[in-house]
Amino acid sequence: MKRPRPPTWLERQRYLLDFTLSSLGRRKGKNLALAALYTLVVFALASVLLYTQALRSEAMRILEGAPDLVVQRVVAGRHDLIPGDRVERLSKIRGVQEARGRLWGYYYDASARANLTFLVPDRFWGKPGEVVIGEGVARTRLAVPGEPFPVLAADGEVVVLKVRETIPSFSELVSSDLVLLSEPDFRRLFGIPPGLFTDIALTVPNGKEVSTVAAKIRGQMPDTRPITRAEITRTYEAILDWRSGLVVLVLAAALLSFGIVAWDKASGLSADERREIGVLKAIGWDTSEVLAMKVWEGAVISLSAFLAGLLLAYFHVFVTPAPLLAPVLKGWSTIYPEFRLTPVLNPFIVSTLFLLTVVPYTVATVVPAWRAATTDPDEVMRS
Amino acid sequence: MKASRFTWAVAALLMLATPGIAEEAAKRPSAKDKCPVCGMFVSKYPDWTATVAFQDGSVAWFDGAKDLFKFLVDPGRFVPGRKPADIRVVTVTDYYAVKPLDAREAYFVVGSDVFGPMGKELVPFGKRAEADEFLRDHRGKRVLRFNDVNRAVLDGLE
Repeated sequence: MKRPRPPTWLERQRYLLDFTLSSLGRRKGKNLALAALYTLVVFALASVLLYTQALRSEAMRILEGAPDLVVQRVVAGRHDLIPGDRVERLSKIRGVQEARGRLWGYYYDASARANLTFLVPDRFWGKPGEVVIGEGVARTRLAVPGEPFPVLAADGEVVVLKVRETIPSFSELVSSDLVLLSEPDFRRLFGIPPGLFTDIALTVPNGKEVSTVAAKIRGQMPDTRPITRAEITRTYEAILDWRSGLVVLVLAAALLSFGIVAWDKASGLSADERREIGVLKAIGWDTSEVLAMKVWEGAVISLSAFLAGLLLAYFHVFVTPAPLLAPVLKGWSTIYPEFRLTPVLNPFIVSTLFLLTVVPYTVATVVPAWRAATTDPDEVMRS
Repeated sequence: MKASRFTWAVAALLMLATPGIAEEAAKRPSAKDKCPVCGMFVSKYPDWTATVAFQDGSVAWFDGAKDLFKFLVDPGRFVPGRKPADIRVVTVTDYYAVKPLDAREAYFVVGSDVFGPMGKELVPFGKRAEADEFLRDHRGKRVLRFNDVNRAVLDGLE
């Protein structure tokens, strides 16, 4: 009779995995509960990480188009309108390619209970009396092109503008609450006399020169505050880090309790499991095979929980409007038209999450198994 | 109709006659172009790019005016077989506008507190007034023209 060929390494692992799965099936309730708990923790952590990452990339996308330097006028510590003659003076500063007076502001829309951003673009392509609105505005006010768009002006009169079109959005966070309109309409609505602007945007082609230009502006116009793009970026980063830190802090208690449960389950073997290892050893399993089986067991539970948690988090953040996190992380969400985030999956975040959850769990299951597997099977079964 | 054809002809002739800055300005270094003097990739430093266009149509990229001048002092040392006579157009990048500029018309500030990818630099400007203001703002030492830059100046920038 021909002796069967010994299994290759791969086949061996397949048999071990097969055994592990059926062994897990024998303690179904306990393992399912553990996997569910595990999934929940990965879901919570991944939701926070994905959500802040998405917010951050949206913010960076806004900032890409932001001017190199914004000059505001400050009166008694408060932002004030800036006279138009400053545009000329600022554009003369060496290193400044272009200076533009900007007109923009917020408008609380009582009917939609939302804060809208009114903005006069560089070149408004509509006629006076027309507005171009973001998708969020269109949703909340149920406005379609051609419809009237009534707005309450600063003097109390209702000005009726007409919707020209909606902005096709590449990032809803940028354009969702936006209302674009012509300069005369803007001045009429907000009662801003000609010759005054909200602020002045400067184009400085050489990034190394921005701080020098800002210093010169501060010297020449002591009543202004130049804001560089780097400062805006830092502020965004700080706010997002602070917010996500806050949520992670709240989650820390949940994480800790999961850690204790997982550690308890993983590091102490139940009498059942000890007996199982003893039997396996008695029927001729190697210590290395027992360990491989335990590694597979840990990997099966943690990997499937990890993937399920990540998928759920992705769904929660990008498909639904993140009902569990939005109120905390978005901050102004109560008065902001609803928007959806552009999906971003950062490999760095996924691998961080993986290293924080799957790897320690798998390692924690191996140590006690190794201890049980190296003792005498007779002793293991008797104890 | 006739007039427009004539205009086109003149434009074409002009383009043939003055293969110069505008043409070089349109070119950008690829991700693989390296500075023949220091060996660094040039496309990472668009603020500093300098070029030499040769008679045969090839172009050498530099990551700063300093390396450009090192090359011009002795072209054969960095690219074997190149002679000063082969050189057609030399451009540097204007510090304020970040646009290409004829190096022979430019003003260079040395000794300032602005450093390029290779350390101390000759910072190029299109106008004398710009160079003077930069010199004041950034504690520069001297304003030089293209022909003032020699080996002694370059040694001072090491």
